[in-house]
Amino acid sequence: MLDWPLLIGILPQVVLDGIILGFMYALIALGYTMVYGVLEFINFAHSEIFIVGAFVGVEIMLGLKSAGLLEALPWPLILLLVLAAGMAASGALAVVAERVAYRPLRGAPRLIPLISAIGISFFLQDFIRLVESLWRNAFNLVYPTIEPLNHRFELTTTIDVSVKALVVIAAALGMLWLLHALVNRTRVGTAIRAVAEDQAAASLMGINVNRIISLTFLIGGAMGGAAGVLFGVQYGLINPYTGFIPGLKAFTAAVLGGIGNIPGAMLGGLVLGLLEAFAASYLSLLTGGAFGAEYKDIFAFSMLILILIFRPRGLLGEVVRERA
Amino acid sequence: MSALLDVRGVSKRFGGLTAVNRVDFGLEAGIASIIGPNGAGKTTLFNILTGLYAPDEGSIVFRGRPLVGLRPDQIAALGICRTFQNIRLFANMTVIENVLVGMHTRVDLGLRDILLRGPKFLREEGRLWTSAAALLERVGLRASANEVSRNLPYGDQRRLEIARALASQPTLLLLDEPSAGMTQGEAAALMALLRQLVGELALTILLIEHNMRVVMEVSDRVTVLDHGEKIAEGRPAEVQADPRVIEAYLGRGSGDRTGRTRAQR
Amino acid sequence: MILHAILTVAAVTVSSLAVAVFPRSVLAFLLFQGSLLFVYLARIPTWLRATLLGVALLVLMPLIGAYNGYYLEVATQVGIFVALALGLNIVVGLAGLLDLGYVAFFAVGAYTWAIFGSPHANVIFGGGFPLDPVWFYVFLLFGLLVAAGTGILLGLPVLRLHGDYLAIVTLGFGEVIRVLANNLDKPVNITNGPKGITPIERPPTLLGVSYGEYFYFLVLLIVGVVILVNRRLEDSHVGRAWEAIREDELAARAMGVPLVRMKLLAFACGASFAGIMGVVFSAKQVFINPESFTFLESIGVLAMVILGGMGSIPGAVLGATAVTVLNLQVLKGLSLWLNELKNAEVIVLGYNLANLPTQFEPAKYERMIFGMILVLMMIFRPQGILPARRRQRELAELATPNPRHVVATPP
Repeated sequence: MLDWPLLIGILPQVVLDGIILGFMYALIALGYTMVYGVLEFINFAHSEIFIVGAFVGVEIMLGLKSAGLLEALPWPLILLLVLAAGMAASGALAVVAERVAYRPLRGAPRLIPLISAIGISFFLQDFIRLVESLWRNAFNLVYPTIEPLNHRFELTTTIDVSVKALVVIAAALGMLWLLHALVNRTRVGTAIRAVAEDQAAASLMGINVNRIISLTFLIGGAMGGAAGVLFGVQYGLINPYTGFIPGLKAFTAAVLGGIGNIPGAMLGGLVLGLLEAFAASYLSLLTGGAFGAEYKDIFAFSMLILILIFRPRGLLGEVVRERA
Repeated sequence: MSALLDVRGVSKRFGGLTAVNRVDFGLEAGIASIIGPNGAGKTTLFNILTGLYAPDEGSIVFRGRPLVGLRPDQIAALGICRTFQNIRLFANMTVIENVLVGMHTRVDLGLRDILLRGPKFLREEGRLWTSAAALLERVGLRASANEVSRNLPYGDQRRLEIARALASQPTLLLLDEPSAGMTQGEAAALMALLRQLVGELALTILLIEHNMRVVMEVSDRVTVLDHGEKIAEGRPAEVQADPRVIEAYLGRGSGDRTGRTRAQR
Repeated sequence: MILHAILTVAAVTVSSLAVAVFPRSVLAFLLFQGSLLFVYLARIPTWLRATLLGVALLVLMPLIGAYNGYYLEVATQVGIFVALALGLNIVVGLAGLLDLGYVAFFAVGAYTWAIFGSPHANVIFGGGFPLDPVWFYVFLLFGLLVAAGTGILLGLPVLRLHGDYLAIVTLGFGEVIRVLANNLDKPVNITNGPKGITPIERPPTLLGVSYGEYFYFLVLLIVGVVILVNRRLEDSHVGRAWEAIREDELAARAMGVPLVRMKLLAFACGASFAGIMGVVFSAKQVFINPESFTFLESIGVLAMVILGGMGSIPGAVLGATAVTVLNLQVLKGLSLWLNELKNAEVIVLGYNLANLPTQFEPAKYERMIFGMILVLMMIFRPQGILPARRRQRELAELATPNPRHVVATPP
């Protein structure tokens, strides 16, 4: 029979894992949803934009480490530095990708920019590999640990949480709040929302649509980059191909929340993260070992398929109708 | 004479907007027109008739068969075919290929026939091509048969759309603003063609039109919609003089568009 | 015409001789393939084109194989991917349904024979396996049907989805199949997980030829059939309906094209080509595991279709050949050449190549190549290298029941 004490005992840890995962998905999902909101286009390469942030972060940390500064500098400073660098790199990369591979195709039928995005995604994977192979002769990299982050707090007798986890959650929350403020309380944010509603009308109102689109890619990319750094800090090991699966799952999260809908992406990310954490931990226990954590990926994909078939507008999205 | 098409109490709402409001409408043989200011619900009605939208209430019966709930391709197979307000040709396919696709419901070939490519296939394909060519001849596009349809001048594209719609040998043809963008001369020629088709093919035509002269000259019956409701119906002359119709069009321009003759103004 | 005729014959002869004289030279083999492309494009009478291609594929290629077995292997792989590209061509090129999980059908076909044509099935059923190798021929059909069935199963839920969403869902499906292949070793061991299945039986070869030659001819035969089926479908009301769906789904529906049935048919046809080749693949490789059926492979086949030209049969053939050769020969050749340079400590622009990091291996950069192909093609030539020819119909001949097709001459 089911071992209830065990199942309940691990619950807080599962929830914590789910929240961390969820915030990370939310940050990545924002990139997808913002771009889709403005262009009705899935930026397939966003998964690589995400992992580039992680790589920039790791390179900086490894650089600091070999300079002996990793232990010397206060860890919040290091974290801020790494986050800023990751965000800048990813944001810039996103803008470049838009200019080079998407803007020339803006008038074309939908399939064409999508295929181009897939091409960029694949190209970037091996490009990162190339750069790292030449620079460091290795492309499976590990984030150096920062001691203070590994301390664990005991909240109760069964639950403990690492400083690292708290930092990741705090950083993610900070990013989300920043984005919310940007989109809802600044002129730029209003412009972005206007372009997302109706490009033609927005340009008639004097908004430089191209600039706003570039800005959207910049912000979305930066969010992805932040997620990349946090991902590296939290999970440690990265390689050029690790972006693909989280990217796909984050896209699922964006769709779950309602693609194009920013609060939806945040909500979707959290929901998916929690569901996945539950699946990872409980699936094996509930099926007596027949189907274990390795099926959690299928879980996310099945979610995606089911949502797109039965409720394509997601939780917070709107119905889109085609007029004849 | 029993009605070909019987529409009763059909309504369609989009969110807060009622596009079509309890419209009753009947069609018999000949050419009928639906007119009304922009946004009156004419194209929405077409979309409902062809199965693109499901009505929120009401019934539609075509030659004794209820249409509500059927898919567009099923309705096409029953004998209703249409053209679109904004031309929707298969842009990268040739003119004759467009017409051939229109014949899809009348093709009597299975997968095995195609794969084996025996005499049955060759015969049937030959018949299709011959019929398609004849249709193009009828609308005057035979010479452009191998042109990619995207390259056709606007007027020809409109005629191709009609030819494609005729390809399935429909009993009822719905034309959505077929003379849009045409000169009066072209429009008149088109209307003459439509009259001919009705005579030769035992076809009934329902038009949505803005060109009043065309409507008044070619229609047997005119129905007027405004804000989703039917406000008048009858013979062209009756409708023209109906004060409600005039009011609906008031402020929209000169006599030409309200259909009143010089004498009446 | 005469000039072209002389040139083509010369090209084929010279290049095949070149391969015979320099069996190790990748360049010679590439020249040989180039000459075949030239034969296809040149303005020569159909009978000459058919004869040259026939002789090249049926006689010269196996002879080349005698000089360098690897080339025959490359040619066979090319054939397999040509069939895959043709299958995806129906789904993406004709019907306009972007399937990013196409490799799943290949996997299904491969695993179908792998399971029953190897001792592995004993794990599931207790005994009686592997089947007699002659069953391979039955499984060619069976694998085709299973894959077609999978195609319909995949097609049913995704029918109403459009463009982007369809692509992502098919991608998800492909991933699901991969994860399943990797993990269905418990509770019932169906796929044997990451360890893969081996040894897979091969049918007895005919006429005493070697296995290399046997599989080459088998693949060639199947590719021939696939091309034939493709052309017949394309040139029928089914093919026209698919194109109409691709052009404007709404209008197609209004004209009476049954979307559901047509889309399912497209999926089923595309999947069946992959399925039958999957069976051949597993018999040829003797060993399969989930690593051969990843997203990378799906994108690879997509790159082939895009490069060659969506909806174009010769395009699919060219694309498959180009990409496979790129991967199997060019990239690999580059790697080997680089290694030679490194060992010889050659200095380029002041930099000693021996100092190149060991991790840098050109052969591994398939993704970069696929990526560049996709992006560059989309921006500069979305219709592909050999775009689908709008088959010109001669209407004047309609008096006869057999409409004559005149294929417009290539530019």
